Amino acid sequence: MAISRRKFVVRTLLGGTGVMLGAAYLGRNSIRRSIYEMAESPDMLSYMGDVSDPLMWFEISNDNKVVLHSPKVEMGQGSFTSMVQMAAEELEMDIEQISIVHAETSTGNIDGMSTGGSTTVAGFWQPLRELSATMREMLKIEGAKKLGVEPGDVKANRGTISGGGKSLTYGEIVDGVSDWEIPETPVLKDPKDFKFIGKPIRRVDVEDKVYGTPMFGMDASMPDMLYGAVVRPDRIGARYNGADISKVEGMPGVVKIVKEDDFVGVVAKSLVEAENAKRVIKVDWKTDRNWQTSDIEAAIQVGKGDSMVIQKTGDTEGALDSEGVIMAEYKSPIGAHAQLEPNGAVAHVESDKATIIMSTQVINMTRSEVAERIGMDAEKVNIVPTYLGGGFGRRLHTPNAMQAAVMSKAVGKPVKCFFNRKEEFQKDTFRPPTHHQLKAKLDDNGNIEAFEHSFASGDVMFNSALVPGFAGTVLGADIGATRGARVQYGAIPNHRAVSWHVSLPFATSWWRSLGLLANTFAIESFMDELAIKAGKDPIQFRLDHLQDDEAGRRLKTVIEKARDMARYQDKANGNSAMGFACSTDAGTPCAHVAEVSVEGKEIKVNKVTCTMDPGFAVNPDQVKAQCEGSIIMGMSASMFERMYVDDSQLRPTIYGPYKMALMRHAPKEIDVEIINGTGKPGAVGEPPLGPIGAAIANAVFRITGQRLREMPLTLA
Amino acid sequence: MISFTINGQLLMVDVEGDTPLLWVIRDLLDMKGTKFGCGKAACGACTIHVDGEAVRSCSYAVKYAEGKSITTIEGLGTADNPHPVQQAWVEEVVPQCGYCQPGFMMATAALLNKNPNPSDEDIDKNIINVCRCGTYYRMRKAIKKAAEINANSITNS
Amino acid sequence: MKKTLFLTIAIGIMLTSISWVTARYSAEELSIEVMTEPKEVNSTQEESEIAFNKMMDVLTHQRCINCHPSDNVPKQGEDRHPHRFGITRVNSMNATNCNTCHQASNNDYSGVPGAPEWSLAPEKMRWEGLSRIEIAQSMMNPENNGNRTPEDVMHHLTEHELVLWAWEPGVDAEGNPRELPPVPVDEYIEAVKTWIELGAVIPTE
Repeated sequence: MAISRRKFVVRTLLGGTGVMLGAAYLGRNSIRRSIYEMAESPDMLSYMGDVSDPLMWFEISNDNKVVLHSPKVEMGQGSFTSMVQMAAEELEMDIEQISIVHAETSTGNIDGMSTGGSTTVAGFWQPLRELSATMREMLKIEGAKKLGVEPGDVKANRGTISGGGKSLTYGEIVDGVSDWEIPETPVLKDPKDFKFIGKPIRRVDVEDKVYGTPMFGMDASMPDMLYGAVVRPDRIGARYNGADISKVEGMPGVVKIVKEDDFVGVVAKSLVEAENAKRVIKVDWKTDRNWQTSDIEAAIQVGKGDSMVIQKTGDTEGALDSEGVIMAEYKSPIGAHAQLEPNGAVAHVESDKATIIMSTQVINMTRSEVAERIGMDAEKVNIVPTYLGGGFGRRLHTPNAMQAAVMSKAVGKPVKCFFNRKEEFQKDTFRPPTHHQLKAKLDDNGNIEAFEHSFASGDVMFNSALVPGFAGTVLGADIGATRGARVQYGAIPNHRAVSWHVSLPFATSWWRSLGLLANTFAIESFMDELAIKAGKDPIQFRLDHLQDDEAGRRLKTVIEKARDMARYQDKANGNSAMGFACSTDAGTPCAHVAEVSVEGKEIKVNKVTCTMDPGFAVNPDQVKAQCEGSIIMGMSASMFERMYVDDSQLRPTIYGPYKMALMRHAPKEIDVEIINGTGKPGAVGEPPLGPIGAAIANAVFRITGQRLREMPLTLA
Repeated sequence: MISFTINGQLLMVDVEGDTPLLWVIRDLLDMKGTKFGCGKAACGACTIHVDGEAVRSCSYAVKYAEGKSITTIEGLGTADNPHPVQQAWVEEVVPQCGYCQPGFMMATAALLNKNPNPSDEDIDKNIINVCRCGTYYRMRKAIKKAAEINANSITNS
Repeated sequence: MKKTLFLTIAIGIMLTSISWVTARYSAEELSIEVMTEPKEVNSTQEESEIAFNKMMDVLTHQRCINCHPSDNVPKQGEDRHPHRFGITRVNSMNATNCNTCHQASNNDYSGVPGAPEWSLAPEKMRWEGLSRIEIAQSMMNPENNGNRTPEDVMHHLTEHELVLWAWEPGVDAEGNPRELPPVPVDEYIEAVKTWIELGAVIPTE
């Protein structure tokens, strides 16, 4: 593989001379290949911008440390640790010798894609290891020259090149080298020789997160910084129609009122002063109509809006056009992201450049948006991404960066501006509500003859800034809403899935796992209903309907493992019972057994057994952490969370009234088993969210006889 | 002027007395370990200690800090000299996104001060902060481990 | 070792200039006021009963009852919902307690109410769900009220800052003023004094 020589940049660092390896090859080969592979998989996020720019990855300093510049962000999913493991493995360095930072866009290492869809580790599996191995070989070549031996006679080990009885550190080798020889991409390590990959390496960011190191967007500041506050509408459909700012002028600390066509902001010397001024700005919001929850529920109905058949095997309609069809309807509510770090940005717009420090999942898109709004070339806008205090899809829309930039430009100084909590809840880009209609027919042996899942959802991917407007025309169905909507039991002779879609009057978008949680809740609860109707063990019933291909076999392994680990019992024991559910998301099968008890009207989840096959776990401890976290976030959404619409206001507006799982709700036991089914990493961060709602509901039915068909699960 | 001790340093600040202590800590003193989550005393991300008691600093007027001793996550311990809670948090690899964690660790340290060996129910009653990544399962293990580290250090000394 | 660092930061933070706490009486409350307006009183008994009811209009209001729970769960808000986050009386003895969030005065930024000695009423003062007569019986019973004489009770009800907080309850998390008890504070104080001075007679029906 030929790598262009000109792409290697040497630069002077504080600690001496270093080298940054840039490689255009990524854009042309592996990463684009893997993106397109993903694009062909109907389950994977498929949009990506230009990746042909030079990508900068490694910085080696004279003190023999490597800094890895990541174009993907760390939002808790642990991918930074996995990336360090992959780099250390091929660079022949220790974990401690490598640190990882978010690549600023000014370094040129820009990923056109967002961080989301559980794609980071899977997407970098091949290219990052190839880059690291190439860098190692380059160091060997230069090291051999300096040691005066043949390149074939040197070895790389723990950041040192040795040969002929002498050795040099990588840091010593890079000193003074300006012209690098670039070898063919080396053969990658045999998995049996892995020292770090596949091992439960401790998270590389754990200490910073435990000792209070400033690392989030909210922690950012710049010298001479002012504070901005933006007046945001609290009603659905409210359009800005001018503002009365007369009361603000002359208020203490107020530096400037920034009136734009689409928003009004105030810049002040302190946050308190900015917030105080914001309160007295009278904005004229134009609204066309009043919205209530009932309007939203009426809009999201199977049979309304645009429809598309997204899965079709056999003649499902024909088979269901007969006597004895079993039907059920399921619903899920509007969900909030409720991530702990509010959205915000610190922006400094100067005459010829702009700097934005912030938490974002869409670095490149944030840059384009800001550049366009302030009328500056994107190359002059440097986005400095920080660690995210939770992402979950909330930071795929970043108008806050643009607003901070506009205010900074207006005052010529850095401006920090963020959402307050009420705005976080009301101006969220919500998980859309869903409605599901399930139909099935059992044959004389109690096997499923036909199965249909029709579901209605608001936008997930449609009308998202991530997807061009024509996506709806091209794709037909919202490929975010369809996550988990297909029937995963391929042995059912007739099955189909139909998507119905309506755009709601407020923003709905990506929420960790997208449609998976609600779709799996509906399908896997209904599977349980069918098993009970058929008089069969619900796990065996599922196994009986799996097709014999790789996906079917992997799911079968996961299901059987969960059953055996949990010692699944189909009968309730007093006020306790087990519930089972499984799903396949983005190619990763996952199964849960939830052990639930009911006390009065309270549902308690005591233990969850989880099995998952992500293909290959680069860091098994962090894959487990993602399963634990997904289970708790998923049970929180399934059991407690619900946004509603009251006189055009989305409510509640604060934690507490927006009830979420707390310590006392979380299962005291979570038993996770990871299966490496393919040897190649796949999706991890979202798939384990799928089955939990149905698993809990299926257990509740065994205890109470009540079939709960609506999230949040509420006993009558 | 309001004076208080924060992480062992005596300070005087000239701010309006009703200013939330959280803003003084984060924006004036530039100590960013204590987090702003909701500003409504609902999430607990801003939990600190005032004279050893857990307090949600977004809802604590700075005037009440006069003459008192404040501890934030930066003062709880350091990598070289970690508090047992921080040591346990690292050993159990608790944080995911990490944003809520300082508040949880401060609440846990306050709990262990009063109750060196908390039961599950004690933990449920006292640790009522909000974590969106769902790290509660590991937190519970870390709280118990911190209690163990505490107990061992008392036994050994 | 303590270091002294003088930090003089004059940033002139101006506090909320809006007057948050404005009395708000709904039409319904006003009608109560009208009904209890002074009129010809025929007897001491009637005067005592009018004073009793006026006092009880206040003591049975959510501003008072929310912290006199009968199930050890403090209540919140005008709808008297259980305190969020699973707070119970157990918390008051614990590391996370009332004063983790509630301080000696209302906090207009967070919307968290506060007053000196912010706490739940003692376990013996369970008023929630009781009738007016039952509340009065409990309140005047030295076994429940901490051995208070009627005069002590009067001082507590008319002078204690935590009780009087009910008329300065501040704003909620969204900045909206909390509802006031249905009787203005001076009328309430007058009513308590009258009722106690007239013998603290608890009506029989």
